[in-house]
Amino acid sequence: MLLLPGAAHTAAPSYHAPDVPLALYLHIPFCRTRCTYCAFSTYSGLSALIPPYMDALAHEIQLVGGGLKRPAHTVYFGGGTPSLIPAALLGHVLDRCRDMFVLPPGAEITLEANPGTVDDTYLRALRQIGVNRLSVGMQSANADELKLFGRCHRQDDVHSTVHTARRVGFTNINLDLIYGTPHQTLAAWQHSLDTALGLDPDHFSLYSLGIEENTPIQRQIALGTLAFPDPDLAADMYEWAASRLAAAGFEQYEISNWTRPGHASQHNLYYWRNLPYLGLGAGAHGYAARIRYANIAHPAAYIECIASQPVPLEFPCSAAADTINSVDRRQAMAETMLMGMRLTVEGVSLDAFRARFGHDLWSIYGAELDRLIASGLVEHTADARVRLTPRGRLLGNRVFIEFV
Amino acid sequence: MDQSLIRNFSIIAHIDHGKSTLADRLLQITGTISERDMQEQVLDDMELERERGVTIKASAVRMTYTASDGQTYEMNLIDTPGHVDFSYEVSRALQACEGALLVVDSTQGIEAQTLANLYMALEQDLELIAIVNKTDLPAARPDDIAQDIEELIGLDALDVIQVSAKTGSNVEQVLEAIVRQVPPPKGDSSAPARALIFDSHYDSYKGVVAYVRVVDGVFHKDDMLRLMSSGADILPIELGIFSPNMRPVASLSAGEVGYIATGLKTVRECRVGDTVTLYHNGAAKPLPGYKQAKPMVFAGFYPSDNDDYDDLRDALEKLQLNDASLVYQPETSQALNFGFRVGFLGLFHMEIVQERLEREYDLDVLATAPSVEYQVLLRSGDVFTITSPAELPDESTIEEIREPWMVIEVFTPEDFIGPIMDLVTGKRGEYISMEYIDRTRVLLKYKIPLAELIVDFYDRLKSGTRGYASLDYHFDEYRAENLVKLDVLVNKQPVDALAMIVHEDVAYHKGQRLVSKLKRLIPRQLFEVPIQAAVGKHVISRANIKALRKDVLAKCYGGDVTRKKKLLEKQKKGKKRLKMIGNVEVPQEAFMAVLRLDDDD
Repeated sequence: MLLLPGAAHTAAPSYHAPDVPLALYLHIPFCRTRCTYCAFSTYSGLSALIPPYMDALAHEIQLVGGGLKRPAHTVYFGGGTPSLIPAALLGHVLDRCRDMFVLPPGAEITLEANPGTVDDTYLRALRQIGVNRLSVGMQSANADELKLFGRCHRQDDVHSTVHTARRVGFTNINLDLIYGTPHQTLAAWQHSLDTALGLDPDHFSLYSLGIEENTPIQRQIALGTLAFPDPDLAADMYEWAASRLAAAGFEQYEISNWTRPGHASQHNLYYWRNLPYLGLGAGAHGYAARIRYANIAHPAAYIECIASQPVPLEFPCSAAADTINSVDRRQAMAETMLMGMRLTVEGVSLDAFRARFGHDLWSIYGAELDRLIASGLVEHTADARVRLTPRGRLLGNRVFIEFV
Repeated sequence: MDQSLIRNFSIIAHIDHGKSTLADRLLQITGTISERDMQEQVLDDMELERERGVTIKASAVRMTYTASDGQTYEMNLIDTPGHVDFSYEVSRALQACEGALLVVDSTQGIEAQTLANLYMALEQDLELIAIVNKTDLPAARPDDIAQDIEELIGLDALDVIQVSAKTGSNVEQVLEAIVRQVPPPKGDSSAPARALIFDSHYDSYKGVVAYVRVVDGVFHKDDMLRLMSSGADILPIELGIFSPNMRPVASLSAGEVGYIATGLKTVRECRVGDTVTLYHNGAAKPLPGYKQAKPMVFAGFYPSDNDDYDDLRDALEKLQLNDASLVYQPETSQALNFGFRVGFLGLFHMEIVQERLEREYDLDVLATAPSVEYQVLLRSGDVFTITSPAELPDESTIEEIREPWMVIEVFTPEDFIGPIMDLVTGKRGEYISMEYIDRTRVLLKYKIPLAELIVDFYDRLKSGTRGYASLDYHFDEYRAENLVKLDVLVNKQPVDALAMIVHEDVAYHKGQRLVSKLKRLIPRQLFEVPIQAAVGKHVISRANIKALRKDVLAKCYGGDVTRKKKLLEKQKKGKKRLKMIGNVEVPQEAFMAVLRLDDDD
């Protein structure tokens, strides 16, 4: 079985986990243009706000850190398009993270990069400020699909981005790909994945296209100018990709994620293990100290909120927090299940569950788990874990809804 | 009260021709309702009546009017339900009157229900006053319509009163006409007291309140009374009149309209059409015409959530307090567990009951496709009736199955004769006759099985004639037909709630349509599910619902667990509304699919 670095943490924390290091998520809500499938919190045409926004972000880190020097495990620049931000500004924010939190040497620091927005100089600068993992939004190797998605890059850009990144010293590169898109054929998907494999990345995130409300792609489907993707074909694509990646030496560890040994995303594992992370920046989500919160979405409003806050508030929120919900033990257990069951190898460990919540997993979810095991979606492993069966990976929602 | 100063009348109109608006104006002009209390559709106090713009229950109101002859008259307006399902109630209400206002929309003309009610009024020998309404509308053709009325019922077109109930124009003339033309009641004040019950409602303090028209004699408030058909003896809580609210009086005498608060706890003992008399020295003979309302359409009502069974029973019980024509009994379905077989006067009645259960009692009710009452003749010679396909005995024991046939009357502009012919023939109907009732409209008569009538007939008639045709129907006879039971098997298990009785000639077609409809309605499950339609052991159609392969959220945007949970909660809620049939999850719509077999989707 695949042993993941950091797996030891699952056994340690109590349910509110004060002593567990934090993951830091930093949101960059700027894009040059919006992709047609994206419903996420990001804005185009606001580049003038970037410098004040990065200042506000650094300020929020300071406010939330509060001088306590809590340990942190990873940093993740997500977006939006983080690679639109000048490296110096990113470096400034990273320095603030290091000032306010204790980051161990070699801590995973990821930046999401769009091909075509980065060059040799920029990537070198990223290395310089400490970014050691690059997540590249390749999405597809097919020009027609990239056009449909409204992506600004071409396949050549992906190629040069990955090669340059390697040359300047990145040893941990992820490629994002999207499948199950309108009018996509199995052959087209195979071409994309094979092309991506040819770039020799360390990690893959393969996302089945979700049709989100109020996106251009959803509107086109509603109008009938685009076909709704065939879910059975998407299932074929998924299964083909799983076997193709296994043959190429990748190990699947989450429903949508594959890694070469030793390159699993430390940051994302925090979400799936239901461990605490801070969400910093406009529209960012966080979970720490029994609280789930989300910051106000618009960057200008965010800047204003942070500017108006003179002193730290109660951890983990800043004045930018827009929704704040406390998480009780029962909810924390449910969330541990519905996130943990995404981990295809690790699943949810019975021992870790008992250590964290003080209850036997079966005493809480026995009926649900028995039903799911009987229907062949979940398995109870010899090493005392519950996890999805290979069939269950494609029917995850049927499993998750048992726990909400 | 001197009978010569009493006028009892009702208003006959097709739905939307302005009956309630005219009533509102009469109440206003006579000062029965102050300007302050005036609202639209005063007499329709049920929320549903206001929303649908149709009277569901009858009501009565007393007005006082000083006419141009200087005399002050007691005018009783008896409002009647506006739908053919309630034609028995209408006939009782008309029996309580001496006159009727025939209201016709001057932009639409006479419709099927107007005519049906008009015939009823003529049968009861009522004096008719014809009124064309909505003369304020630009499309009004009052003279033409008045001419049509003259041709149809022989009233002089010049006597037809042209009004706008909306603006109040000419409405005063209606009151004068009532005084002049409607004869006063001719009861025998000294004979043993008799009163006709023409409706009732349930009041939690006063029990069943019977709406009565006193025909002979006098009722005093302390008299012990007897209900002649049900045999119930009562000491009423009070006697009173509607003005328009309930107002107690000391006595009600021959010719008057009012109410008797019976104190009875169920309407079963106080039926519409029954005769009230005195316990001591009562009348020997009841008033003619009482008949028990007979349900024509039956459906299974099941609580969506099995835990709501008791609530559904309580709600039906309460509805029945106000609605004697509603009948129900417990029924068990393998597919839907515990529920009730409920009988209705017609499909409209069923819709109303279902809607009231959902609105007034907050119940989520799953209704199976409606069925009619079949007579089954067994080889043994025994005959019994069934109201649900599930009750049909083994095929080999059956000699014949008989189904109810109706006579329908359709009013339509002549342009739509073709489509209506096609519709009726497609539903096994038989042509009887066609006659022109005015220059451009015809009255078509057919015989048609009730089972065909209750399945989307009305909707298709309306859509096929752009809303112009109107429909009336009544029972004709039971006929032996080649009927078979069409079973539906989901995952190889017969589902009783989906079975239907169909004519052998269309069994194959219906089976196929039903299977393909169900295939669309039942979501994919974790395993492949065959859907079959069968007659006896013979499978006539089959389709497979492929197993679900993919249902998973690909990613969680930047740690947004809340959004993900919301999506899952929504999905879970949707699943909860599904009914488990064996281990297959079936949506509620599937049970009504039978009703929409001929949709083109």
